Amino acid sequence: MLASAIPTLIFYLLAAISLTLAWSVVTGRRILRAAVSLMGVLGASAGLYLLLDSPFLAGVQVLVYVGGIVVLLVFAVMLTRTTELLEDHPTRLRQIVGSAVATGFFLLSYFMMTSDVFASRTLSALPKNDVAAIGRALLDTGEHGYALPFEVVSLLLLAAMIGGIVIARKPTALAKSEVPHG
Amino acid sequence: MSWQVKSIAERTGDLLPGSPWTAVLYVLLTILAVTAFVTVAGLVLIYAERKIAAHFQCRVGPMRVGWHGVLQSIADAIKLLMKEDIVPRDADALLHILAPVLSFAGMLLVMIALPMSPTVQVSDMNIGVLYVTAVSGLGVLGILLGGWSSNNKWSLLGAMRAGAQIISYEVSATLALLVVVLFAGTLQLSGIVQSQETGWWIWRAHGCGIVAFAIFLIAGTAEINRTPFDLAEGESELTAGFHTEYSGLRFSFFFLSEFLNMFVLAAMASTLFFGGWMPLHIGHFAGFNGIMDLLPPGLWFTLKTTAMIFLIMWFRWTFPRLRVDQLMRLEWKILLPIGFVNLFVSAACVVTGFYFFAQ
Repeated sequence: MLASAIPTLIFYLLAAISLTLAWSVVTGRRILRAAVSLMGVLGASAGLYLLLDSPFLAGVQVLVYVGGIVVLLVFAVMLTRTTELLEDHPTRLRQIVGSAVATGFFLLSYFMMTSDVFASRTLSALPKNDVAAIGRALLDTGEHGYALPFEVVSLLLLAAMIGGIVIARKPTALAKSEVPHG
Repeated sequence: MSWQVKSIAERTGDLLPGSPWTAVLYVLLTILAVTAFVTVAGLVLIYAERKIAAHFQCRVGPMRVGWHGVLQSIADAIKLLMKEDIVPRDADALLHILAPVLSFAGMLLVMIALPMSPTVQVSDMNIGVLYVTAVSGLGVLGILLGGWSSNNKWSLLGAMRAGAQIISYEVSATLALLVVVLFAGTLQLSGIVQSQETGWWIWRAHGCGIVAFAIFLIAGTAEINRTPFDLAEGESELTAGFHTEYSGLRFSFFFLSEFLNMFVLAAMASTLFFGGWMPLHIGHFAGFNGIMDLLPPGLWFTLKTTAMIFLIMWFRWTFPRLRVDQLMRLEWKILLPIGFVNLFVSAACVVTGFYFFAQ
């Protein structure tokens, strides 16, 4: 009785934290505070993964989102000069498009959750989720393997990285290398 | 000799069904012990730093408070607690308070995963190495937010430098960690220690271990912002960098987490490359191993970590501070390629079983 009540309690606690912080991300005026709240939301999702018995996923969540994406976000905010969101009144077009996208996403997630797309919702059907099993599945070329998506994602990341370098490269350095000496 | 490895969390879990209140007491005692350890270790490290620095410069260091100045750190801590706590005008007060806490939390969360002996480890996670890399990211966030929320250009510059530096060097440090994970075949920290029962990875891995250790030490020193990588707070350039505007208790949080990060780095280096609490063993040479086992594992851990801390402090009085462009060149053009090649070579060694005492 008590043993099953504690995870439920923790779930509702994490859910409440997530919702409160997510609300403050969207409504906050100070952009850096919004970034910190976002970090809290992502951390709470890591907690939910832990509750689902997937410590590896939780670790990756913290590593990639809290340690990577939020840090980059804060870094980008620090490079820009505006400390607060200046746009008080978004245009009518933005309001319409924004609410349409939000409603669409809400409906999509609602139907996804209510339909039976997730076949393994019962506990017995859960796949093994230890690190070794995940690693094997990522490199498996067989029927249930993920070798092809894994490679495609690596290719995408490589392309993004090269694109980033090309954009960030100073045009003067490019011009100098093309112009012969003298 | 087989080791009875059991973390404090596991022992608490064993107590939970029978006597939940004993388990609660156990948890409270653990929190108390970790707090005490962090405080005492911080004071000792600060005293050691001052003494070692003094002797490298042919001075004697603190001598007045207590025998050879051993109580100097305590006096300093009391002074620091009495100081006025200042939040700059126009600063984001909430983030100003949150930043040192985040920095401290990042350090503390790594601390609880360190295996100090077979029985002294707060939590022995399955994903140990991943966990350590993940939560140490909180420290960067604390520095970035501290620099930003101070509303001071020196702080902001220091924070930007720290951010760029830590993000860059994290890559190399992770590549070096992966080498040991490959050889040990596990992410669990106690498992990595136990995999070194026939010898430490630094010499068992045919050079890969030495290269990985060098990369890990350089990248780790950069990640904890110590000289020669202390651009984030280079006092001759930025007054004090990201913590210029901090005083009193909040400053001491930054200060303490900086010193204990050094302990964490030393402990991780000795766990991964020097066997952690595992005594010096040579293969299945039972006589020699038996003699080495006479020293308790906790003492081995302490000795190795102390030696590593001394090495890191030695760096500080040996190398001059790097310039920003030199810093970036060292990471992206030197350490990173070496790290990748080293990882490939280690993978080849692991696949072919080409290392000492492979099963």
